[in-house]
Amino acid sequence: MTLGGGRGLRIAQALLVKGFAESTAYRAEIVLWMIAGAFPLFMMLIWMSLAESGPMGGFAAQDFAAYFLVVFFVHEMTQVWVLGQLDEQIRLGEMSSKLLRPLNPCWEHLADHLCALAVRLPLLLPFVALGLFLSGGWGEIEAGRVPLFLLSLVLAWVIFFSLQYCLGLLAFWTNQAAAFENLVYTLYLVLGGGVAPLALFPELLQRIIGYTPFPYIISLPVEILLMPPDGGAPLSGLMAQLLWAALFVALAGFLWRRGLKKYAAFGS
Amino acid sequence: MIKAESLSKHFEVHEREAGFLGSLGALFRRESSLVKAVDGLSFEIAAGEMVGLLGANGAGKTTTLKLLSGLLHPSGGVLSVAGFAPKRRQREFLSQIAFVMGQKEQLAWDLTAADSFLVNRAIYDIPADIYRQRLAELSDLLGLEGLLNRQVRKLSLGERMKCELAAALLHQPSVLFLDEPTLGLDVNTQRAIRAFIAAYNRRFGATVILTSHYMADVTALVERVIVIDDGQILFDGHLRNLAARLAPCKILRLQLLQPQSEESLRGFATLRSCDDLEVEFLVERDAVAQVTARLLEALPVADIAIEEVPIEEVIGELFQSGQAPMPVDEAVQA
Repeated sequence: MTLGGGRGLRIAQALLVKGFAESTAYRAEIVLWMIAGAFPLFMMLIWMSLAESGPMGGFAAQDFAAYFLVVFFVHEMTQVWVLGQLDEQIRLGEMSSKLLRPLNPCWEHLADHLCALAVRLPLLLPFVALGLFLSGGWGEIEAGRVPLFLLSLVLAWVIFFSLQYCLGLLAFWTNQAAAFENLVYTLYLVLGGGVAPLALFPELLQRIIGYTPFPYIISLPVEILLMPPDGGAPLSGLMAQLLWAALFVALAGFLWRRGLKKYAAFGS
Repeated sequence: MIKAESLSKHFEVHEREAGFLGSLGALFRRESSLVKAVDGLSFEIAAGEMVGLLGANGAGKTTTLKLLSGLLHPSGGVLSVAGFAPKRRQREFLSQIAFVMGQKEQLAWDLTAADSFLVNRAIYDIPADIYRQRLAELSDLLGLEGLLNRQVRKLSLGERMKCELAAALLHQPSVLFLDEPTLGLDVNTQRAIRAFIAAYNRRFGATVILTSHYMADVTALVERVIVIDDGQILFDGHLRNLAARLAPCKILRLQLLQPQSEESLRGFATLRSCDDLEVEFLVERDAVAQVTARLLEALPVADIAIEEVPIEEVIGELFQSGQAPMPVDEAVQA
């Protein structure tokens, strides 16, 4: 189902307005969300204290500070919860009312996520900037790399969103799709470099992880912003991101078409 | 407008024993069976017609509506609604239909109804002036003043149902599927919704198919009913014929001047009920005149009335003869 011209814009606008209204309906929730995502900040404190006696694997205390503050930022900006939503909508039949409208429900999910990010950004940016300034990590950031960083952040988000979308769509076949939620979050955090920089992982493990989509969600954008310029590294990283994103988006489309045939519209 | 031929929908369902051992067993071995929710339905519905789908719980009514609206893909048969195959869910098709499901909300819970309406306005591409005009019209018919700008979660069930109906009808669908539209509503709200549906059908010539457990919905709105049992059509025709076909008797109600013994009353015809001075007989249609004359002659009668058997009883009987697991009172809660 394609969105033609003006209608597409009007729908986008209406969905964003609705998403924004929903995101701001409960103000306390916004702050709680951010506190819940503070895990990388705790990791930062642990690694900083470990590095007090001297650099670890090339990371000094302020390197860790910069690394985990940017991880925190990327982690917040790639928060995706569409897996659980799809699972619930499909299993409980709530998908029905969405399917009756001439609009693929993915657009509404997309708008809801974007609005939640937009609402969080004004709190998040000053916090991270202040943290970088206080910890001395500010100097690690190369301004010229910000555009590439933003591009890779968008791709990271697309990868994680479409990956979760695929897993959520499995609810058409199994009523256990939600079980993936914790697994995928753990992999996203650990293999994405949210617990320790991937550079500190054993080399073999690093190589294996490189074949999964996870390092391209958190770690790659962070590396692009912080790591010393390394020839073509950012470009090959972006290419890999593009491939993973294309793969999951295509897979989600396939699962969606197949799943609709299996849909049982329970309960409604 | 709607044409179904040998339409069927089969589900595979997993079964397991209740309790802990059942759950444990289900970990290793799952048993499944095929449920024929809809099994070879054929019918045609003309544009502008209002049809009631009747049947016990689990008879296949809702599944039929879901097939007609494209939510489910049929397991077999041919289906066409407004010239489209519903399962393909083309935009032109979806823009022409609406499906209102009793308790299932399309309105966003944390927002106002007006917020959700604006999303629908964009999705269905309704020009602003037409949107305003339709909203005013719906608001008028349904009595929505003051409701649209309140958070949906704070509306009562009846208020929410009215807003749901309005949301479903903003794009002015020409085919309307209603699944238990008055479920759980109080009598006044039920009546208001019924009047609204009738008005919508008249004004826009919309085709309406509804299911309901409230016989009042059915008798007030539709002339034609399709009775489904076990996924198959048991009856398709005029509501009156359904009564005539299934209820060969009429009710003769007498108001007596003096109480009579039940034994003596039984001599006249089948005794339906006997409550002191008020007595009801079941009498075959062609014997009504004869029995009435005999009764008037033999008993001290103050008043007499001849009535049709209430439709809900007729339908309740239909489900029993069709061996459906249908408690009669389910159909009678009008």
